[in-house]
Amino acid sequence: MVALSSIPLDLATLVQAATDPEHGGLVTFIGSTRRESDRRPVRTLVYEAYEELALRELQAIAEEAAARFGARLAVAHRTGRVPVGEPSVAVAASAPGRPEAFAACRYAIDELKARAPIWKQTEFADGQTTWLDGCQDREHGHWAEEGAPGEGQGPLPRASVRGGRPA
Amino acid sequence: MPEVLVTVHLFASLREAAGTGRIRLRLPEATPVGAVWGHLPEPVRTRSDPPDGMRYALNHEWTLPGAPLRDGDEVALVLPVSGG
Repeated sequence: MVALSSIPLDLATLVQAATDPEHGGLVTFIGSTRRESDRRPVRTLVYEAYEELALRELQAIAEEAAARFGARLAVAHRTGRVPVGEPSVAVAASAPGRPEAFAACRYAIDELKARAPIWKQTEFADGQTTWLDGCQDREHGHWAEEGAPGEGQGPLPRASVRGGRPA
Repeated sequence: MPEVLVTVHLFASLREAAGTGRIRLRLPEATPVGAVWGHLPEPVRTRSDPPDGMRYALNHEWTLPGAPLRDGDEVALVLPVSGG
Protein backbone atom coordinates (compact mmCIF):
# COMPACT_ATOMS: atom_id res chain seq x y z
CA MET A 1 0.00 0.00 0.00
CA VAL A 2 1.26 3.46 -0.91
CA ALA A 3 -0.62 6.69 -0.30
CA LEU A 4 -0.51 10.46 -0.36
CA SER A 5 -2.75 12.06 2.22
CA SER A 6 -3.88 15.60 2.90
CA ILE A 7 -5.16 14.56 6.32
CA PRO A 8 -3.19 13.13 9.29
CA LEU A 9 -1.62 9.75 8.54
CA ASP A 10 -3.50 6.73 9.87
CA LEU A 11 -0.63 4.74 11.36
CA ALA A 12 -2.78 1.80 12.45
CA THR A 13 -3.95 1.30 8.87
CA LEU A 14 -0.36 1.51 7.67
CA VAL A 15 0.80 -1.18 10.12
CA GLN A 16 -2.13 -3.37 9.18
CA ALA A 17 -1.31 -3.02 5.49
CA ALA A 18 2.27 -4.19 6.12
CA THR A 19 1.28 -7.07 8.37
CA ASP A 20 1.76 -10.59 7.04
CA PRO A 21 1.16 -13.80 9.01
CA GLU A 22 4.38 -15.24 7.56
CA HIS A 23 6.39 -12.31 8.86
CA GLY A 24 7.73 -12.26 12.41
CA GLY A 25 9.04 -8.70 12.50
CA LEU A 26 7.56 -5.33 11.62
CA VAL A 27 9.46 -2.03 11.72
CA THR A 28 7.95 1.43 11.41
CA PHE A 29 9.59 4.74 10.65
CA ILE A 30 7.74 7.98 11.28
CA GLY A 31 9.19 11.28 10.13
CA SER A 32 7.79 14.39 11.77
CA THR A 33 7.99 18.13 11.31
CA ARG A 34 10.77 19.62 13.46
CA ARG A 35 10.37 22.73 15.54
CA GLU A 36 13.50 24.31 14.05
CA SER A 37 15.11 24.46 10.64
CA ASP A 38 18.47 26.15 10.07
CA ARG A 39 18.27 27.21 13.76
CA ARG A 40 15.13 29.20 13.06
CA PRO A 41 11.74 28.48 14.58
CA VAL A 42 9.32 26.79 12.19
CA ARG A 43 5.57 27.35 12.15
CA THR A 44 4.59 24.65 9.70
CA LEU A 45 5.78 22.68 6.70
CA VAL A 46 3.89 22.49 3.44
CA TYR A 47 4.38 19.46 1.20
CA GLU A 48 3.60 19.40 -2.50
CA ALA A 49 3.66 16.21 -4.54
CA TYR A 50 3.62 15.49 -8.25
CA GLU A 51 0.90 13.05 -7.40
CA GLU A 52 0.78 10.81 -10.47
CA LEU A 53 4.51 10.21 -10.48
CA ALA A 54 4.97 10.24 -6.68
CA LEU A 55 2.52 7.37 -6.30
CA ARG A 56 4.29 5.40 -9.02
CA GLU A 57 7.65 6.06 -7.43
CA LEU A 58 6.47 5.03 -3.96
CA GLN A 59 5.03 1.86 -5.47
CA ALA A 60 8.31 1.15 -7.25
CA ILE A 61 10.27 1.66 -4.03
CA ALA A 62 7.92 -0.65 -2.12
CA GLU A 63 8.31 -3.33 -4.80
CA GLU A 64 12.10 -2.98 -4.78
CA ALA A 65 12.19 -3.39 -1.01
CA ALA A 66 9.89 -6.39 -1.27
CA ALA A 67 12.14 -8.04 -3.85
CA ARG A 68 15.40 -7.29 -2.02
CA PHE A 69 14.37 -8.17 1.50
CA GLY A 70 11.31 -10.41 1.15
CA ALA A 71 9.38 -7.65 2.90
CA ARG A 72 5.88 -6.29 2.79
CA LEU A 73 5.75 -2.49 2.73
CA ALA A 74 3.29 0.28 3.39
CA VAL A 75 4.31 3.88 2.71
CA ALA A 76 2.34 7.09 3.21
CA HIS A 77 3.28 10.75 2.82
CA ARG A 78 1.35 13.87 3.78
CA THR A 79 0.59 16.68 1.37
CA GLY A 80 -0.39 20.22 2.25
CA ARG A 81 0.24 21.85 5.63
CA VAL A 82 1.81 19.72 8.35
CA PRO A 83 2.12 21.54 11.69
CA VAL A 84 5.21 21.11 13.88
CA GLY A 85 5.23 17.74 15.64
CA GLU A 86 2.91 15.92 13.23
CA PRO A 87 4.06 12.99 11.11
CA SER A 88 4.81 13.92 7.51
CA VAL A 89 5.87 10.46 6.34
CA ALA A 90 5.48 6.92 7.60
CA VAL A 91 6.87 3.58 6.47
CA ALA A 92 5.92 0.16 7.82
CA ALA A 93 7.91 -2.90 6.72
CA SER A 94 7.43 -6.48 7.79
CA ALA A 95 9.66 -9.42 6.95
CA PRO A 96 10.21 -13.01 8.10
CA GLY A 97 12.98 -11.82 10.42
CA ARG A 98 14.05 -8.66 12.22
CA PRO A 99 17.15 -7.76 10.15
CA GLU A 100 15.25 -7.80 6.86
CA ALA A 101 12.40 -5.77 8.35
CA PHE A 102 14.80 -3.06 9.56
CA ALA A 103 16.69 -3.10 6.26
CA ALA A 104 13.52 -2.84 4.17
CA CYS A 105 12.19 0.06 6.25
CA ARG A 106 15.50 1.89 6.00
CA TYR A 107 15.70 1.27 2.26
CA ALA A 108 12.21 2.63 1.66
CA ILE A 109 12.59 5.87 3.61
CA ASP A 110 16.04 6.57 2.16
CA GLU A 111 14.87 5.98 -1.40
CA LEU A 112 11.70 8.01 -0.84
CA LYS A 113 13.72 11.00 0.30
CA ALA A 114 16.09 10.73 -2.63
CA ARG A 115 13.62 9.95 -5.42
CA ALA A 116 9.97 10.68 -4.74
CA PRO A 117 8.79 13.87 -6.48
CA ILE A 118 7.65 15.61 -3.31
CA TRP A 119 8.79 19.05 -2.14
CA LYS A 120 8.85 20.74 1.21
CA GLN A 121 8.20 24.40 1.89
CA THR A 122 9.24 25.66 5.29
CA GLU A 123 7.11 28.39 6.77
CA PHE A 124 9.11 30.07 9.50
CA ALA A 125 7.62 31.70 12.57
CA ASP A 126 8.41 35.14 11.11
CA GLY A 127 6.28 34.39 8.04
CA GLN A 128 9.12 33.84 5.58
CA THR A 129 8.66 30.79 3.36
CA THR A 130 11.36 28.68 1.70
CA TRP A 131 10.98 25.94 -0.90
CA LEU A 132 13.64 23.26 -0.75
CA ASP A 133 13.79 22.53 -4.46
CA GLY A 134 17.18 23.59 -5.78
CA CYS A 135 16.04 26.99 -7.06
CA GLN A 136 17.08 30.33 -5.68
CA ASP A 137 15.11 33.51 -5.54
CA ARG A 138 16.95 36.46 -7.03
CA GLU A 139 15.98 38.91 -4.31
CA HIS A 140 16.89 36.62 -1.44
CA GLY A 141 19.72 34.70 -3.00
CA HIS A 142 22.20 35.74 -0.34
CA TRP A 143 20.24 34.15 2.46
CA ALA A 144 19.69 31.04 0.38
CA GLU A 145 23.43 30.68 -0.26
CA GLU A 146 24.08 30.85 3.45
CA GLY A 147 21.39 28.25 4.10
CA ALA A 148 21.92 24.53 3.56
CA PRO A 149 22.12 23.51 7.22
CA GLY A 150 23.22 19.96 6.46
CA GLU A 151 21.93 18.29 9.61
CA GLY A 152 24.37 15.43 9.21
CA GLN A 153 22.25 13.91 6.44
CA GLY A 154 24.33 15.04 3.51
CA PRO A 155 23.73 18.14 1.41
CA LEU A 156 20.24 19.57 1.35
CA PRO A 157 18.82 21.04 -1.82
CA ARG A 158 19.37 24.74 -2.30
CA ALA A 159 16.57 26.83 -0.95
CA SER A 160 14.40 29.26 -2.83
CA VAL A 161 13.09 31.94 -0.54
CA ARG A 162 10.03 34.10 -0.92
CA GLY A 163 8.10 36.56 1.15
CA GLY A 164 8.54 37.20 4.81
CA ARG A 165 10.22 40.11 6.44
CA PRO A 166 13.20 41.71 4.69
CA ALA A 167 16.53 40.57 6.10
CA MET B 1 8.95 23.83 -39.06
CA PRO B 2 5.84 22.14 -37.67
CA GLU B 3 4.98 22.89 -34.08
CA VAL B 4 3.63 20.85 -31.21
CA LEU B 5 1.45 21.96 -28.33
CA VAL B 6 2.56 20.54 -24.99
CA THR B 7 1.49 20.95 -21.37
CA VAL B 8 4.25 21.70 -18.86
CA HIS B 9 3.65 20.71 -15.23
CA LEU B 10 5.35 22.89 -12.64
CA PHE B 11 5.82 22.34 -8.92
CA ALA B 12 7.09 24.08 -5.81
CA SER B 13 8.88 27.39 -6.49
CA LEU B 14 8.41 27.08 -10.26
CA ARG B 15 4.66 26.70 -9.79
CA GLU B 16 4.63 29.71 -7.48
CA ALA B 17 6.65 31.79 -9.94
CA ALA B 18 4.26 30.86 -12.76
CA GLY B 19 1.16 31.36 -10.66
CA THR B 20 -0.15 28.06 -12.03
CA GLY B 21 0.79 24.40 -11.98
CA ARG B 22 0.55 23.90 -15.72
CA ILE B 23 1.28 26.01 -18.73
CA ARG B 24 0.82 25.30 -22.42
CA LEU B 25 3.71 25.88 -24.77
CA ARG B 26 3.89 25.81 -28.53
CA LEU B 27 7.30 24.43 -29.46
CA PRO B 28 9.10 23.28 -32.60
CA GLU B 29 8.40 19.61 -33.30
CA ALA B 30 10.84 17.19 -31.63
CA THR B 31 12.12 19.79 -29.16
CA PRO B 32 13.94 17.75 -26.49
CA VAL B 33 12.43 17.66 -23.03
CA GLY B 34 15.61 19.19 -21.63
CA ALA B 35 15.13 22.33 -23.76
CA VAL B 36 11.73 23.19 -22.27
CA TRP B 37 13.40 25.28 -19.56
CA GLY B 38 14.62 27.74 -22.18
CA HIS B 39 11.07 28.25 -23.43
CA LEU B 40 9.51 29.03 -20.06
CA PRO B 41 8.18 32.55 -19.59
CA GLU B 42 10.80 34.88 -18.12
CA PRO B 43 9.27 35.17 -14.62
CA VAL B 44 9.33 31.38 -14.23
CA ARG B 45 12.94 30.92 -15.26
CA THR B 46 14.81 31.92 -12.13
CA ARG B 47 18.12 31.52 -13.95
CA SER B 48 19.38 30.85 -17.44
CA ASP B 49 20.03 27.12 -16.93
CA PRO B 50 17.87 24.58 -15.15
CA PRO B 51 19.00 23.90 -11.59
CA ASP B 52 21.46 21.06 -10.98
CA GLY B 53 19.68 17.78 -10.46
CA MET B 54 16.61 18.62 -12.53
CA ARG B 55 14.79 15.52 -13.73
CA TYR B 56 12.05 15.19 -16.31
CA ALA B 57 8.87 13.21 -16.73
CA LEU B 58 6.96 12.66 -19.95
CA ASN B 59 3.29 11.69 -19.65
CA HIS B 60 3.87 10.89 -15.96
CA GLU B 61 6.85 8.60 -16.44
CA TRP B 62 10.50 9.40 -15.92
CA THR B 63 12.33 10.31 -19.08
CA LEU B 64 15.72 11.63 -20.20
CA PRO B 65 16.46 15.22 -21.27
CA GLY B 66 16.97 14.14 -24.88
CA ALA B 67 13.48 12.69 -25.33
CA PRO B 68 11.70 14.50 -28.21
CA LEU B 69 8.33 16.14 -27.55
CA ARG B 70 5.29 15.20 -29.56
CA ASP B 71 1.98 16.97 -29.92
CA GLY B 72 -0.18 16.64 -26.81
CA ASP B 73 2.65 15.52 -24.54
CA GLU B 74 2.61 16.35 -20.85
CA VAL B 75 6.07 17.17 -19.61
CA ALA B 76 6.97 17.74 -15.95
CA LEU B 77 10.00 19.62 -14.69
CA VAL B 78 11.01 17.77 -11.52
CA LEU B 79 13.18 19.99 -9.35
CA PRO B 80 15.49 18.40 -6.75
CA VAL B 81 13.14 16.79 -4.25
CA SER B 82 12.82 17.33 -0.49
CA GLY B 83 10.08 15.02 0.74
CA GLY B 84 10.21 13.05 3.96
